[in-house]
Amino acid sequence: MRRLAKIAAAGAAILLSTPALAWEPTKPVEIVVAAGAGGASDQMARMIQAAVQKNNLMKQPMVVSLKGAASGAEALIYMKSSDGDSNKVLIAYSLIYMLPLSAKIPFNWRELTPVAVIAMDQFVLWDNAGKPYKNVKEFIDAAKASSSPFKMGGTGSKREDQVLTVFMEKRTGAKFVYLPYKSGGEAATQLVGNHIDANVNNPSENLEVWRAGQVRPLCVFDKERISYKSKVTETQSWNDIPTCKEEGLDVQYLMLRAMFLPGKVTPEQVAFYVDLFKKVSETPEYKDYMEKQALKPIFLTGKDMTKFLEEDDAQNKSLMTEAGFVAK
Amino acid sequence: MEAFGLLLHGFTVLLTGKTLLLMMVGLVLGIFVGVLPGLGGPNGVAILLPLTFTMDPTSAIVMLSCIYWGALFGGAITSILFNIPGEAWSVATTFDGYPMAQQGRAAEALTAAFTSSFIGSLCAVLLITFLAPMISSFALRFGPPEFFAVYLLTFCSFVGLGREAKHKTIISMALGLLLTGIGMDTISGQLRMTFGSTDLLRGINFLVAVIGLFGISEILLTMEERLALRGHAAGISLRVILKVWMDLPKYWVTLLRSSFIGCWLGITPGGAIAASFMGYNLAKRFAKDQDSFGKGRIEGVFAPETAAHASGTAALLPMLALGIPGSGTAAILLGGLMVWGLNPGPLLFVEHKDFVWGLIASMYLGNVVGLVLVLTTVPIFASVLRVPFAAIAPMIVVSCAIGAYAIQNAMFDIWLMLLFGVVGYVFKKIGIPLAPFTLALVLGNRAEDAFRQAMIGSGGDLGVFWSNGLVGFITTLALALLFWPLIDKAFGRIGQMLRPAKA
Amino acid sequence: MSSDIEIVVEDPTAPETDSPAVASTGTVDVVVSLLLLALAGVLGYDNWRTGMSWDESGPQAGYFPFYLCVILGAASLYGIFAARRNRAAAAETFVTRAQLRRVLQVFVPTLLFCVMMQFLGLYVASFLLTAGFMWLVGRIALWKSLLTAFIFTAAMFVTFDIAFDVIMPKGPLEAAFGY
Repeated sequence: MRRLAKIAAAGAAILLSTPALAWEPTKPVEIVVAAGAGGASDQMARMIQAAVQKNNLMKQPMVVSLKGAASGAEALIYMKSSDGDSNKVLIAYSLIYMLPLSAKIPFNWRELTPVAVIAMDQFVLWDNAGKPYKNVKEFIDAAKASSSPFKMGGTGSKREDQVLTVFMEKRTGAKFVYLPYKSGGEAATQLVGNHIDANVNNPSENLEVWRAGQVRPLCVFDKERISYKSKVTETQSWNDIPTCKEEGLDVQYLMLRAMFLPGKVTPEQVAFYVDLFKKVSETPEYKDYMEKQALKPIFLTGKDMTKFLEEDDAQNKSLMTEAGFVAK
Repeated sequence: MEAFGLLLHGFTVLLTGKTLLLMMVGLVLGIFVGVLPGLGGPNGVAILLPLTFTMDPTSAIVMLSCIYWGALFGGAITSILFNIPGEAWSVATTFDGYPMAQQGRAAEALTAAFTSSFIGSLCAVLLITFLAPMISSFALRFGPPEFFAVYLLTFCSFVGLGREAKHKTIISMALGLLLTGIGMDTISGQLRMTFGSTDLLRGINFLVAVIGLFGISEILLTMEERLALRGHAAGISLRVILKVWMDLPKYWVTLLRSSFIGCWLGITPGGAIAASFMGYNLAKRFAKDQDSFGKGRIEGVFAPETAAHASGTAALLPMLALGIPGSGTAAILLGGLMVWGLNPGPLLFVEHKDFVWGLIASMYLGNVVGLVLVLTTVPIFASVLRVPFAAIAPMIVVSCAIGAYAIQNAMFDIWLMLLFGVVGYVFKKIGIPLAPFTLALVLGNRAEDAFRQAMIGSGGDLGVFWSNGLVGFITTLALALLFWPLIDKAFGRIGQMLRPAKA
Repeated sequence: MSSDIEIVVEDPTAPETDSPAVASTGTVDVVVSLLLLALAGVLGYDNWRTGMSWDESGPQAGYFPFYLCVILGAASLYGIFAARRNRAAAAETFVTRAQLRRVLQVFVPTLLFCVMMQFLGLYVASFLLTAGFMWLVGRIALWKSLLTAFIFTAAMFVTFDIAFDVIMPKGPLEAAFGY
């Protein structure tokens, strides 16, 4: 119904004014989410949908389409087979590098059209707040001393969470068993219920249970601390979490959150979306969201983005190879 | 009775003309998307979510939750009238609901479905109102072994039920379990049985299979029998409704059992889907004449619907209190809450009291208003059966196609649906039961994941399924159900004076 | 309005009831069992290749599917023997010629509909299916068929495409109108 009104309005606009030169979508734009409902990508897609609609950034509506089957491979294949369709935007994360390596999915991000990197997501090492070990050293010592190995939960298999686990093992010599779950939310609840000993969830996935005092952040896997200084719990802000390096665990990993169009789209179409996401990144909804989810702000397009992707790809590849997750 | 006071406050927030109006709009839209194949609960709510972006949070959430109620009610309609379940939990409703419709008792079946939905939801809402904090800590006790035990329980409640030849039940369940394994394996991240096909990579979507197995195959069977929807379009009147209601007390055991199962599985994250199957199976297992199930027995509608809706409602509890959605639709609602800056989690009940109790109050009101609304519209839905078959058949085919396509936007799914239509037709004719197949398709993957997670955690020790009271109890219960016929016989042999306890 | 209204669409050229059988239940049973056996074989091989053993961290990816294939295969084999043994049940008619013709009357249009959907889009295909089926199979007056089909398709289009933004396959006709 609302589209009827919009179509009428758009029709009137065309009649009254000279046709606009810039390209604009003529159909509803699909935001393709490579994860299940309620996950970090889905939340981000809905935030963008709301930001676009509330601020009237686009005439056509946005639709979120969830393509989380096969650990998100469904979304990648869907984008790959949509060459030239400028009404689909993918919210990508590290799976674009990792899935083709671990599961031999016939996909290469270079076949898509990069639009913009809109954020970087952090990883934090969490344990259950009821446990006695309060910092990384105590945690690692306890893991080493334990008769049965500590259980580490995470999203999916042979992906960022498991890579981090393997590197923690390599750096410290402690042994972990890795339990793959379908989503970060599941890993969070399982940690609260003491079914696992730790997880390496993104801030957004553990935010609520942290605020409720059920889990404890031990360190953040980045070179520097998270910049947000306003209190999240009664005593701590994101900025109060030490980096893992400070705590003597030299493992770093950041995950991109980026938008891609399918292959073979025109430069005008790319320009429209670059502009759209630039505008989105300036909305209060977006800024609020970034702070709440402790995302690292970044905005890269064009050559900068391609350069970043190439470097990021190489880094992910070397991590995956070293962890032994590349399928033969 | 702090809860009671807060609830009253919630009602006062809601009882304004504007909110009530929004409620009605939400319910009507919800029923609408629930009835439309291919929309159904989760998709429908997702699509309507943007409508609420421009409202204030309370109105938005009231409207969203009413859409949710509407969709829950609406899902039963297509299951009963056309044998097309819109959601996983409506599948069990087709088992007896559709035969009832064929016998010209569509109105009765619909009334039964709506009424039992109402009862189920009401039980769950009562539970949420008074036990919310306690329950959410219970849900936390579920780790991989517990999840597996619950799925095992569902499967075990099923085996040995049908009258079909045993090997055919085995074929049906094994095939379902196999097909659910196609695609990517969560635990190892490996691809299985895809043969390099990018279409198979996605796996076989449960709803696509069900739409084919039930919807398309039904059309083929109907044509063959030249029955052409023998729609005794019996006039629905207050009399039919009253008759069903008068019968309700007779089935109090079934209703109570299903409500209990539903509430319990609903608060178990991810367990909601199993509820309707288990409700149905247990009703059948403990019935005196099991054979009359599947042939249009009203109890066969009461049992799954009560359980499904109790679980659908109870599933909101882990979502609100823990931030884990218990069902697909709840997951979308979760997304909606986030847009409003209301982060579901343990603190929601503390920090946003107004909102939470407003929502709970809207559950009560939404359910009552919803029941009245759907009951008054039963005649409209039932009259669909009076349309000539030659007109309704292609429309059902189109609806099935829309439903199958909309799930993953894939043409491949249309072919899959057609294939499953033929499979369903042939299986029904040679006596391979479809129910174990659908159950396996829904739960197979989750059960396998849970089992393997439990194995990784325990280092391969099967003892983990008896490692604590909770999981040990469920596992033992499951095995007891599996061997129930043997146990029953053994008891009978020991002596007639020792009647087996009904548990 | 409480009288029972029974609507039975009769094929005007109703065939005789004692139509010859096309296949017996036994034959179909055996054919299905053989197909399932073949499926079990193919999937079983793939799972064996994936890895079907039980290593230190529990079962491998192919473990459950492999043994399910074994179970499925065994049950299918048993099915073949059971069908051969129980001759009385096997001799029952699976489908008569007249029944098969009626089934094909709905199956073939459905198949055509699926094919057309790829080229013409869902809405045009559904219009053709509805109108064609009503007119040719249901023997309903052409104008009624066309009108019903049009109203139905238009209602679907408005609901899914315009009101709810559900993306459906579209063809040249929709493109001509700018959708």
